[in-house]
Amino acid sequence: MRLELRDVHHVYARGTPFQVEALRGVSLVVEQGEVLGIVGGTGSGKSTLVRHMNLLLAPTSGEVIVDGVDATTLGKSGLRRRVGLVFQFPEAALFAPTVEEDVAFAPRRLGLEEAEVRERVSETLRSLGVGDLAGRSPFALSGGEKRRVAIAGVLAMGPEVLVLDEPTAGLDPASREELLDLIRNLREAGVSVVLVSHDLDEVAEVADRVCALHEGRVRAVGTPAEVFYSDPAQAPATVRVASLVNESRPGIGEPVRLDETLGALRALPGV
Amino acid sequence: MDNPGIGTRPGGSLAVCCERVSFSYPGSERPALSGISLELRRGEYVGVVGPNGGGKSTLVRLLNGLLRPDSGRIRVSGHDPATEPFEVRRHLGVLFQNPENGLVAPFVEDDVAFGLENLGVPREEMRERVAGAIRAVGLEGYERREPHTLSGGEKQRVALAGLLAVEPEILVLDEPTSMLDAAGRGEILGRLEALRAQKTILHVTHHLEELIHADRILVFNGGELVANESPERLFSDAGLLRENRLVLPVVPRLALGLGLPATLGTPEDLAEAILAGARAG
Repeated sequence: MRLELRDVHHVYARGTPFQVEALRGVSLVVEQGEVLGIVGGTGSGKSTLVRHMNLLLAPTSGEVIVDGVDATTLGKSGLRRRVGLVFQFPEAALFAPTVEEDVAFAPRRLGLEEAEVRERVSETLRSLGVGDLAGRSPFALSGGEKRRVAIAGVLAMGPEVLVLDEPTAGLDPASREELLDLIRNLREAGVSVVLVSHDLDEVAEVADRVCALHEGRVRAVGTPAEVFYSDPAQAPATVRVASLVNESRPGIGEPVRLDETLGALRALPGV
Repeated sequence: MDNPGIGTRPGGSLAVCCERVSFSYPGSERPALSGISLELRRGEYVGVVGPNGGGKSTLVRLLNGLLRPDSGRIRVSGHDPATEPFEVRRHLGVLFQNPENGLVAPFVEDDVAFGLENLGVPREEMRERVAGAIRAVGLEGYERREPHTLSGGEKQRVALAGLLAVEPEILVLDEPTSMLDAAGRGEILGRLEALRAQKTILHVTHHLEELIHADRILVFNGGELVANESPERLFSDAGLLRENRLVLPVVPRLALGLGLPATLGTPEDLAEAILAGARAG
């Protein structure tokens, strides 16, 4: 699926003294099978933006286009099956007595055959590395496990675009790495992933493209190198180190991922 | 514990003392903490790390009396949090993960004063302490702002000011930056660094880079205290890191990959070391 936002504005509480313009004309494309990182400070509009991707929020003005078609004509339930949205701290919404039941809830509501529901659930849990948890209570799991079960509930719908809003916040570092591996696996499987994160280091590792928001506008969009080197003060640690080194010893290029950066720095004579 | 009496005396050299403390949540098969013994000396800055479910947050809740140990003994500035929680909370303040949950009052200054109002502090002194706490977190001019209009980092600073106004000698920080963006994180960490000379600090986090200047780091896993090491030792011990699901931050990983010390914490420090090496080579 190619998902496009055209000049989207969003105003909260319009016409009241609390009116806030959270998005001020955002145009952005999510290409088929890419990982798009969305970064920006608190209040820059990241969460508001991604809520437009499945029309959970309707734009105050502007359009959301799915494969060339105006998304508002597609029907909300169909759209939400194709664009899955995982909120911040999604484990807060776990509710069923077992992991399996929890993950089965949404696919069952699609009206699928019970056998197909079970198949999807077990396949999704397996792909997330939590297949052995199917019979457990979701409330007895660790933080990282709960997070993955909650993501499984959305993935079991078989979305073409998966939107993850701060999926690693509060997770231990090893669980964070596992979640980044999951994102890479989804990309392999042809699913587009929109990763909203304030952790620039993790965005640097997995994103194909990055969109930087500032006060409800797109400050920069492009490859991670283009976006992060355009403002090294707001860049991952790799880019900050490489930029500082470049100032005195130019010629190491614009590495972003950790392995690229290490390679570039090792190539410096004398290091 | 060579001298078990030392932690029981207010004004002694130990701020916190735990002896063989165990705790299980009701209905849970395995203990959340089992047989933990630890000490914090006055003025120390001690980090706490470990996987989700390792026991870090349980320790915080036992220290301020939200939970009572099943067995063992805890003293905070000489007081037992299980039986004297209100006394303990004058000495030990906790900054929690999500600042949204802690802010209650219509204006910043009322929020900062909230904890003091319960302590029966005279009005004039209260005013001074609130002003002092707001200064200590760098929020002068924000007194009449409404907390909901602030950024995440500002809100967390308001919550920190509320703690400081009570003037506890011990600060416990339970993942204080996990909800904040890079700027907010820098704000909080900078304020903590400035406080470290005056307070005993216990800082729970998933981000090892925040602890690079800590005096020592406690590693909790599976309810046990599995390591008590300096940052230098922990950062260089790949086995210990892996066993406890810890991952080094980007800058120390780059440093180790280039044969430089893992305690180079900031991009600036690392770039300087690389350039110095390149010049020497």
